Amino acid sequence: MKFVEDPRIKEGRKSLALAWIYFFIYLTAILVLSYTLGIKPYLWGFPRWVAVGNIMVPIIFVIMLIFVVEKFIPDIPLTDDDKNPAGKE
Amino acid sequence: MNAATLSFLSYTAILIAIGIWAYRIVEKVPINRYEEEFYAAGRGLGGIVVALIIAGGLASAGTFIAGPGMTYAYGYSWVLMNNFQIFMNLSLLAPIGIVVGIVARRVNAVTYLDLFRARYQSKAIIIILASMVTVFLLPYMATQFVGAARVIAQMTGLGYFTSLVFGSVVVLIYCVLGGMRGTSLATLLQGIVITVGCILLFVGTVSHAGGFRHSTEILAARDANFLSPTMGGMFRPPFAFSIACITGLFMVGMPHAMLGALTYKNTKALKKGIWMGGILVCIWTLLLCLSGVIGRSIMPDLAVPDEIAPWLAMHVMPEALGGIVLAGIVAGIQTTVAAMAIIITSSIAKNLLKELKPDVSSEKMKVASRLTMGVCLVIAMGLALLEPPLIQWIIFFSIGGLEAATFGPILLGMYWKRGNKWGALASISWGMIIYGLANTVFPEIGVWGTHPSLISVLSSIVVYVIVSLATPPPSGRIVQTFWGVSVSN
Repeated sequence: MKFVEDPRIKEGRKSLALAWIYFFIYLTAILVLSYTLGIKPYLWGFPRWVAVGNIMVPIIFVIMLIFVVEKFIPDIPLTDDDKNPAGKE
Repeated sequence: MNAATLSFLSYTAILIAIGIWAYRIVEKVPINRYEEEFYAAGRGLGGIVVALIIAGGLASAGTFIAGPGMTYAYGYSWVLMNNFQIFMNLSLLAPIGIVVGIVARRVNAVTYLDLFRARYQSKAIIIILASMVTVFLLPYMATQFVGAARVIAQMTGLGYFTSLVFGSVVVLIYCVLGGMRGTSLATLLQGIVITVGCILLFVGTVSHAGGFRHSTEILAARDANFLSPTMGGMFRPPFAFSIACITGLFMVGMPHAMLGALTYKNTKALKKGIWMGGILVCIWTLLLCLSGVIGRSIMPDLAVPDEIAPWLAMHVMPEALGGIVLAGIVAGIQTTVAAMAIIITSSIAKNLLKELKPDVSSEKMKVASRLTMGVCLVIAMGLALLEPPLIQWIIFFSIGGLEAATFGPILLGMYWKRGNKWGALASISWGMIIYGLANTVFPEIGVWGTHPSLISVLSSIVVYVIVSLATPPPSGRIVQTFWGVSVSN
């Protein structure tokens, strides 16, 4: 019998790729800004690299995450007999 | 009795009430559905609770005690290190949440090891993993009790032992009585207390320090390295990268974080769990870590850096508010202990027991679950009596060990059809051997100053692939169960 892959697994793979790409972009941003911006002039009273790389960047990425997750991860049923896309039980 | 102790006692009383209430719910569930209720709360948890279970489970004393402690000791450099953990919910739920959600329902998996059982169908893997989960999580749990006891001792003036009993017995009550149902309800309350506590601590500390600029200038005058991203070269980029992998990317392998993936209700809850977890961990991490650094400008010569958060709570804000902050710190620790207690218990009482005695009755399983959980918590309390001085390094050791053993088998096991039990066994063994060597006789295995878990995890993935390719593929039934279209469709 020919194997037919469950299409929901493809969505799982897409979510994996999304998570890793998002995390690597965040990691790159936070590391590059932290190691290149320097300490002075202070911003909001913090060393410059802290204010931009470690306060602004995390907050921006956390806010962006709401939109990214809601847009790119679809609502799919989790049980095999579930006809409701949101999987409400 | 001071106001701080009173507010903490009120919080504890609510937790005990939750435990008793959850016990009554669990006891009403028919015996054939008991396991699903006790370990997965009936698989019906919403997004907020899922977010809190993963975030609260992973953000441990390492975040609430050692986080500010490390920033107190090493300045802003450790704010950078802690910021890598902000997306822990994303790193766990997005990569495997959907697949685990589908497969767990197909094979009726309610525990972490049920998934391994279904995927690899190997008694040896279950026995090894159950042993390793216990070996690594018990000392981890003990460090949480140590953190909680130190906070309570500072707040109430009680001795260490009494504080230890006080902080841990309440967890014992709501975990043993209410299982995952009690844990999830308690976590909801604890999430609120943690968040309010973090905000209060940060506002109080900044206000007492005279603002950010004033604090930064004091720190610069004392030691300019406190303002450096590497603490004057102590923490170089490769080390930072390896910490990012341990506390971010490799989180997939963490057993107690898998509770969220096993218990969420639907994909709406999954998505909410991801982004809400990001918001919560960002608030907790940033506010606590910044409080730790700023606290150094207020109190420069604390003998034990880990005591900075409780010290600030008791010295820079009104007593009653200080009590809420400390309750928040203890709450953060208790959520971790609860998640670990569920995982260890399920590994021993459900998976290991069933492997060794397949015909065990549901009634006996019920008794075994509660008994195991009680014994594990008591053992962790016993270990906590040893009072280790630096809990952050024990936490990293436990996390690294678990990730080295499980990252490859869980992630590749969920996506790579060719992966098999031989690959998983070899990967777990290899990861443990390399990690063991790196932490004992060959510390140079941790190349370029990285944490030993990085090379352990990466090399164990390679071993998983090579051994799987060199041995027969998994059965068609496993492939169909994990990735195939259901027959009923």
